[in-house]
Amino acid sequence: MRLASYLDRGQERIGASDRAGRIVDLRRAYATYLRDVEANPSADELAQLTLDRDMVGFLKNGEKALDAARKALVHIQENPKLVDGIIFDLQQVRLMAPVPRPGALISAGKNFSDHVAEMASKKGPSSPVAFLKLPGTVIGPEDDIALPPEVKNLDYEVELAIVIGKSCVDVSADEALDYVAGYSAFNDISARDVIRGENKTGIHLMGKSFPGFAPMGPYLVTADEIPDPQNLKLKLSVNGETRQDSTLSYMIFKIREMIAYWSQMGLNPGDVLTTGTPRGVAAGRKPGQPPWWLKPGDVVEAEVEKIGRLRNRIVAEQSIAQN
Amino acid sequence: MRIYLGLTENSLPHQTRIFAEVDGKLIDLTVAHARYLAEAGDATYAYEQAGFFFPETIASFLQRGAQSRDALGRAVAFARQTGLSNLRGPSGERAVFDPAEIRLLPPLKNPEKSFVIGFSDKARVEAMPKAEIPTGYYKLPQTFVTGGAPIIWPKFSQELDADACLALVIGKAGRRVDPARAWDHIAAVTLLIDVTARDINRREGLTTNNLLGKNFPSSTSLGPALLVTPTRNEAEALEVELAVDGEVRQKFGLRDCVFTIEQIVARWSILGIKPGDFLAIGASMALQGDRLQNPAPLKVGSTLRCSSRAIGELSHQVIAAEGLRR
Repeated sequence: MRLASYLDRGQERIGASDRAGRIVDLRRAYATYLRDVEANPSADELAQLTLDRDMVGFLKNGEKALDAARKALVHIQENPKLVDGIIFDLQQVRLMAPVPRPGALISAGKNFSDHVAEMASKKGPSSPVAFLKLPGTVIGPEDDIALPPEVKNLDYEVELAIVIGKSCVDVSADEALDYVAGYSAFNDISARDVIRGENKTGIHLMGKSFPGFAPMGPYLVTADEIPDPQNLKLKLSVNGETRQDSTLSYMIFKIREMIAYWSQMGLNPGDVLTTGTPRGVAAGRKPGQPPWWLKPGDVVEAEVEKIGRLRNRIVAEQSIAQN
Repeated sequence: MRIYLGLTENSLPHQTRIFAEVDGKLIDLTVAHARYLAEAGDATYAYEQAGFFFPETIASFLQRGAQSRDALGRAVAFARQTGLSNLRGPSGERAVFDPAEIRLLPPLKNPEKSFVIGFSDKARVEAMPKAEIPTGYYKLPQTFVTGGAPIIWPKFSQELDADACLALVIGKAGRRVDPARAWDHIAAVTLLIDVTARDINRREGLTTNNLLGKNFPSSTSLGPALLVTPTRNEAEALEVELAVDGEVRQKFGLRDCVFTIEQIVARWSILGIKPGDFLAIGASMALQGDRLQNPAPLKVGSTLRCSSRAIGELSHQVIAAEGLRR
């Protein structure tokens, strides 16, 4: 399944993509299924209980929610007349990140052999390196990225997002993928100059966590559709010009190893791990080369094979309304 | 005034209540305020109105601003005036509890910004390059516990220690706050113990990260109470102490911080701050002449006490992780 979070008249809802690429509202579809097929007298209430309004709640419900979602989707596809309030064209809704507010957002650094080389690090790390991005930084697949006035060196990093589906502590690499709900595309936006300032005396936090620094989406593709995520292709372009073009096979610590390592701190449904990025980032440009820092007006497209593409425009923060 | 978040014996897990401490007892503010409204002749929707002022999280309480703060003042004045032995809800519900009857929870549940300001301790910074900006790190809300909970020694570490912090709790949203207005955004203070797996933290420090070393179950203790709307002078007079096995290892106040509240709020509000967020100061502020013992090392079996007279005390025992696998 291709699961999505979307806004319908300002309200956050969860849906799934149908064969035609439209969004099926899962809770309404499941209520219809319960009413039509199972003649359940409390269809709306049971649908609400089973399919939580937000994706983290949905994932916490585990197999029960996934099973309900599958039944709902099949029922809607078999009854093409059920459209009103249940099926939306993509133009009718605004896609959010599939997990709009993860519990923890753990982003790997220095995790691609080709990227480690371009960042002039001497060698790869001996154990997985990651940092926490603030969960509140996550934005949707088509949302604008605000360039804050404090930032001069805005950079991009295409990554795979791994969404945890089951709580786990201390799992082995062999069983690690059993705890994955699915995958999404991710762009780890970074303020390199702010990070440099922070790293002088502390650790980097602000430089990775300005509002909107984590576009994710467009869908959460369930793990059953991607049995081998380790060789997916990643691609990123700025204004149509390719900047990153690689595969997850260059990861130093593989997806299974990352999950196993970070499960030591305890992982929960709705936590998100991101893989780190391959070569081609703006920070990797050599003196004399034209700089690649993102600037207002740029359109960044980050794509992961089998999942889809994020398309975000850079906008000077001063020019957009503050929330 | 000290407020707490907790559950009574019969509450379901999501039915958290806000309590105020009056004469050593805990007053269920929703029930007390409903009674106040009923007596004032406003019986219709008394529970709903009280529930609006005292919602299920302290972040929402703070978010309601003056209307909830005023309601807190009214409920407590009403409780004192009625007398604790006579205070019950409009339908006879219990409103007054002994502290031991309430299961206290971390007062802040899921802040967007739960930051500890790094290297803010004057004594320690002397030995280091001068920090120009108050850097910080994020403590994951899923690591939060409060007093009474065990600190579980993680299996991946050989070396655990603890630092006491004073958390400044945000009551008013803002972005790029003018330093002159910084104090207006602070609504409360509480205690925080920052537990660190130092061996992991040292290794992660080589790549300027700290994640696993600072974020594992029970690595952040918060509470026990929020001291709400302290004046600036009251906040600056607070003394925080950390004792391990009865021996005081850390002792500090806001004066020991390298950075001013203005600098810290101005810096971190660049990202935006909201009610219920906090900025904690004081990680590893040394006792004079005791720098080598700082932060305070722990052992399995250690008891840990972090206290400040006006806020209360967090106490914990360190236990091994054995038997807690999945």
